[in-house]
Amino acid sequence: MPVRVVDTATPSSQPSTGQDANAGHPSPPSCSLLSAGRCFAGTQNVSNVQNNEAWKVNVRIHGCDLEQGYLCGTMEALNVPLADTPVVTFWEGEIVDAKNYTFFTGKWEASPEDDIRHWSKFPSFTPLLSQIETDGGKSVDLSNYAHIFMRWKEQYFVNVGVDCGLTIAGFYYVCFSCSDGSISGFYYDPNSSPFQKLELKCTNEKDSGFTFSSYELQ
Amino acid sequence: MPATASGGARPEEAASPSVSSPSSYCMGTRPEELTARLAAAGRPPVGGCGGGGEEDGEHERVRTLREIKNQIIGNRTKKLQYLRLGAVPAVVAALAEPGVSPAALVQASAAAGSFACGVDDGVRAVLAAGAVGHLTRLLSHPDEKVVDASARALRMIYQSKLAPKFDVNNEKNMEFLLTLLNSENENVTELAANIISHSCDSNTEQLALCAAGVPQRLVNLFGGSMNLRDACLDSMTSIIRNNWEVTSRFALMDHGKALRSIVALIHDRSPRTRLLACLCLIALSHASPSHFQDRQIKTKLILVLLELIEEPGHVGDDAPLALTTLIKDSVELQKQALSTNAVQKLSNHLLANSLESRRAVTILLALAELCSKLEESRSQLMSVQASTLIIDALKHACADIRVAACSCLKNISRSSKVLSAGKLSCDTFIAPLVQLLYDSSTSVQVAALGAISNIAVNLTPRKSILLDSGAVSQLVHLSKSMDPTLRLKAVWALRNIMFLLNPKDKDFILKELTLSTLSSLICDSEHFVQEQTMALVHNLVDGYVDAVNYVIGEDGMILNAISRQLNSAPASGVCIQGMFVLANVAAGGESNKDAVMNILVARRADRIKPSFVVNFLQSKDKQLRVSTLWCILNLIYPKCEASSVRVARLQNAGVISQVKGMVNDPCLDCKLRVRMVLEHCLDNADDGFM
Repeated sequence: MPVRVVDTATPSSQPSTGQDANAGHPSPPSCSLLSAGRCFAGTQNVSNVQNNEAWKVNVRIHGCDLEQGYLCGTMEALNVPLADTPVVTFWEGEIVDAKNYTFFTGKWEASPEDDIRHWSKFPSFTPLLSQIETDGGKSVDLSNYAHIFMRWKEQYFVNVGVDCGLTIAGFYYVCFSCSDGSISGFYYDPNSSPFQKLELKCTNEKDSGFTFSSYELQ
Repeated sequence: MPATASGGARPEEAASPSVSSPSSYCMGTRPEELTARLAAAGRPPVGGCGGGGEEDGEHERVRTLREIKNQIIGNRTKKLQYLRLGAVPAVVAALAEPGVSPAALVQASAAAGSFACGVDDGVRAVLAAGAVGHLTRLLSHPDEKVVDASARALRMIYQSKLAPKFDVNNEKNMEFLLTLLNSENENVTELAANIISHSCDSNTEQLALCAAGVPQRLVNLFGGSMNLRDACLDSMTSIIRNNWEVTSRFALMDHGKALRSIVALIHDRSPRTRLLACLCLIALSHASPSHFQDRQIKTKLILVLLELIEEPGHVGDDAPLALTTLIKDSVELQKQALSTNAVQKLSNHLLANSLESRRAVTILLALAELCSKLEESRSQLMSVQASTLIIDALKHACADIRVAACSCLKNISRSSKVLSAGKLSCDTFIAPLVQLLYDSSTSVQVAALGAISNIAVNLTPRKSILLDSGAVSQLVHLSKSMDPTLRLKAVWALRNIMFLLNPKDKDFILKELTLSTLSSLICDSEHFVQEQTMALVHNLVDGYVDAVNYVIGEDGMILNAISRQLNSAPASGVCIQGMFVLANVAAGGESNKDAVMNILVARRADRIKPSFVVNFLQSKDKQLRVSTLWCILNLIYPKCEASSVRVARLQNAGVISQVKGMVNDPCLDCKLRVRMVLEHCLDNADDGFM
């Protein structure tokens, strides 16, 4: 979701750890709640010292490739101040699988310390912390872990121009629960309010059950 | 399209008419006259004019054969004319006649070879006349010129696919082949290489040739003439193709020296040799990747092949095909190709030249392969003017070009990122693609369906242009085709169009398709069609109450069809999609849940036959277990009295006890859904519903 552009620029230290592909590592579990067509709704808390604010957010997964650690989708922010319409952005995600991507971002102005600080906000990360600190998470087996950790990076505005007064410079640290399909996230952008929390629930769960759609590319 | 070049084939040797003796000037040169004269020359002389007459007759025959040969070399029309006149049997007969002069044998061999070059009817005629046997016998003729001529003629014959296979598993044949290969006459050794290329295609033949030391001999012959080297390279490729054992032995031969000699030839001066060496190494790398891990060589291959695209003729035409074969299915090699600007170079060539050549087809296919996996390739191709050229290619008169252009678009759109950007979801691409659904060529229709299936996944906020393009009615039409591939692809496209479509548009498609067609497709003879149809229905009923009513209504036509399929336990893909249909239906109201319940646990059959659901839960396919668990979960969701009744029925049918046995399912997704099901069962019981 885009956030308002703020002027205070405090660049963080350059990342020291890049992506370290570890071939042969098992992929994270496939989860029927994290697949193309799944929709999620919730809020992003954009509060800062001046005001307390939360924007309604809808997310739709467009594609998911566990083998490549890739997923993508759109994010729609509904009640964005200064915007006449809901603002939709397209994002691409990196799934932390210790094969394609590790817990360390290595880009987007996120240092390993920023990474640990954000991942640690998720309770489900706590059991992994010591191993991440020991070897950077190379030996972590997430193939049977009930949470999937991801980074979502917005790539472009779908329905508004870049001059809309909003920025998508940052990215999200995301934790997905395979049990109920709920999503927690924290937006990170050194130039924006820290720890803006994203909370989403799967909307494919209706009153009487869960529904499914799928496509297949040739 | 075959991915390898026809390396051994050479154009007919340049026509260099033999000098005719002065007497030929007074000889008629019309094909009719020459054919008649040749036939007469084969008959015994009448009246007995003595030895001088026989000599004259032989001169006459040589002159006639020479004239025929000179007329037909490189002239297809003349060849056909002589074929119609029945000249071939007379020419071949000259090869078999006792006491025929070497000069006549040379001319007859050359003429027979020429008839077999480039004209299938010519090959058939030459073969029918028994030329192979006669020419083979002449390989041991004492006159070297006769040997040369017969070897050349046989090479022409063995260039054709119509020529008989030479059985190298036969011991005598192998001995004979080795004799040819060890000959000091290059024409003969080249023939041996050609015979191997033509005949060797089975594993046992490859092993037999390898055991006989043929690869080593072929490598030794690389030092010969350019033509011999090329024939040997082509021959080597046919010996190692798809044969791990032969390839492994070859790679280790002479401590890798043999392999290195082929690597060296990718830098040869002759473009054709470079291409053949590349093809040989590509075959080698596919047959035994472990013996061909040198990344640098692969990069060199890519660079050489990209250079060869600029060469005229077959070499330039076949180079993109060789590149396609090299990078096929390999992300690593596609990345390497991309890093050498392959997309740019191929696009530039396409832009700089017309679409009128075979090369346009092979380049488009190479570009398609480059876009099969890499986002960067797709983005590069879409950013250059080549995308305009692809649109032109879709409208091209040549079917192969239309197919290749469709392949490009199919692979570009094989990406959720590209589809989200919606660049292909515009009239510019969709209109010509939809037009191709009406093409007279089935292969074009299939290729267009491939591209349309992908583009049909509308991930943009805009309404799908496909719906307004008239595509739906033609897709419905094709879904009833007698051709199973057309049916499959058409249903697949409809399934993808249906993905997250709004109810109004779903209704439009359903009316075009009709429930009876849908029902027939669910029970199609091909399980791939059944699977896509089930997926189509599961997309149809997701979030569209009216569609659910259609599916459970109309005397249960659709649900009955699904039930029949699930009970007959077809392919797991069909069952997975079928269970998602039932899960979506079961996510509705009570009547929906009851309808699904009656399929899962037939009331009368409760005690007679275990429900297919139990089998599905025991399946090795985790996706089938997951989809079945979702269906069960929806049936007992939310907590209410009716749900508890369904829990009881599922319990009686042994379904719940099967679920209980899955608490430690190796698949996490299954394990989590099992927990959800059991929690719901427990909640229903706790709340006194049970």
